[in-house]
Amino acid sequence: MAEDEAIFDPTLKKKKKKKKTAFDIDSVLAESTGENDNSNQGINTEVENKDDDQDDANIEIDLDFSKKKKKKKKPFNLEELDGALPDVKEDTTNETNQNQDDTVLDDNLDIELDFSKTKKKKKKKKDLDELIGEAEEKQEDKENVEDNSVTWQGSDRDYTYDELLTRVFEIMRDKNPDMVAGKKQKFVMRPPQVVRIGTKKTSFANFTEICKMLHRQPKHLLDFLLAELGTSGSVDGNSQLIIKGRFQQKQIENVLRRYIKEYVTCHTCRSPDTILQKDTRLFFLQCETCGSRCSVASIKSGFQAVTSKRAAIRAKTA
Amino acid sequence: MSIQNLQTFDPFADANKGADDDVQDGLVHIRIQQRNGRKTLTTVQGLSSDYDLKKIVRACKKEFACNGTVIEHPEYGEVLQLQGDQRENICQWLTKAGLAKPDQLKVHGF
Ligand SMILES: [Zn+2]
Repeated sequence: MAEDEAIFDPTLKKKKKKKKTAFDIDSVLAESTGENDNSNQGINTEVENKDDDQDDANIEIDLDFSKKKKKKKKPFNLEELDGALPDVKEDTTNETNQNQDDTVLDDNLDIELDFSKTKKKKKKKKDLDELIGEAEEKQEDKENVEDNSVTWQGSDRDYTYDELLTRVFEIMRDKNPDMVAGKKQKFVMRPPQVVRIGTKKTSFANFTEICKMLHRQPKHLLDFLLAELGTSGSVDGNSQLIIKGRFQQKQIENVLRRYIKEYVTCHTCRSPDTILQKDTRLFFLQCETCGSRCSVASIKSGFQAVTSKRAAIRAKTA
Repeated sequence: MSIQNLQTFDPFADANKGADDDVQDGLVHIRIQQRNGRKTLTTVQGLSSDYDLKKIVRACKKEFACNGTVIEHPEYGEVLQLQGDQRENICQWLTKAGLAKPDQLKVHGF
């Protein structure tokens, strides 16, 4: 994530950080007091803080501190002054409501201004940098996304996770127009050439070629194929893979697709531009596009049933 | 509003099950192996040893109209073995019987 953030604009970073800390403080407080109503209100105000200008934000922070104190007092009140509790509650909620009302009006304006600003910037950039036709397409896309992302604006309700997600991705795309992450990148593969040899074996003719295309060690792909197919096999002199058992091209393709999904494409951005490294018995997938690094499942063939003639095995071991 | 990170969670809650529990990674691996000709075998590895595999195999044999057996393996514990390609069947059956959730099932093979 740290590297993801590095791509962000500094302004965005600031906003994000502010948001995070605000959430933490408030929600922790809410936990300690155990009142859901207050936490909701807190979050609403916090959302608006985030989109404020610097000056406003400072004021808001001051307000926050005062709120904090009040909330901290509450547990004591709960224990000591049962009778006085309802009054205190009402007072604080009223105050927070007022705060909200004050900020809501200003902030709505601010939010709208912000969006219009970014839009304008976007348009200018596009016109300068790219062809007009492309820019128009993109703008249409952007508008669609925007409709989704600001659905909670102006209403009191909590935004959903999906809404936040579309919003953050939209901002990421806005700030980094040439980023690969959001865009669909087709990963074209040549189909495996699978030929039957006799009745019991199958040849995977372009095995080494496909390994080269995927930038993977033949042994790694070999281990995976054999473990998945539950069989044995080896690479012969013509650099083709001979597998025991009868397999069709489609079946091999399926296994290859699973291999690519797990060991080739980045789990974060799906870019195929990755490196597989072995590090203390674990394999790690390092992405060259987004820089993410994650461990991948080790290849285990697991339980293998006895499928050959038992008499033959007995003859071998005896 | 609840914060998941702050909820107490006992990481050793399932440790008292014992070390011989064959659920190594919490996944049920369903594999297929080719035998001679068009014949295949389906193996189910990683079912919790809390379940009576003998009873499961009896039910599966009847349900899928195939033969099957339970194999005791020193490393992988009790493994279910069914004749033919029963991967689809066993996946559906295990989820329907509530023995495993769909995301716990890992189907291998072609
Ligand atoms: Zn990536």
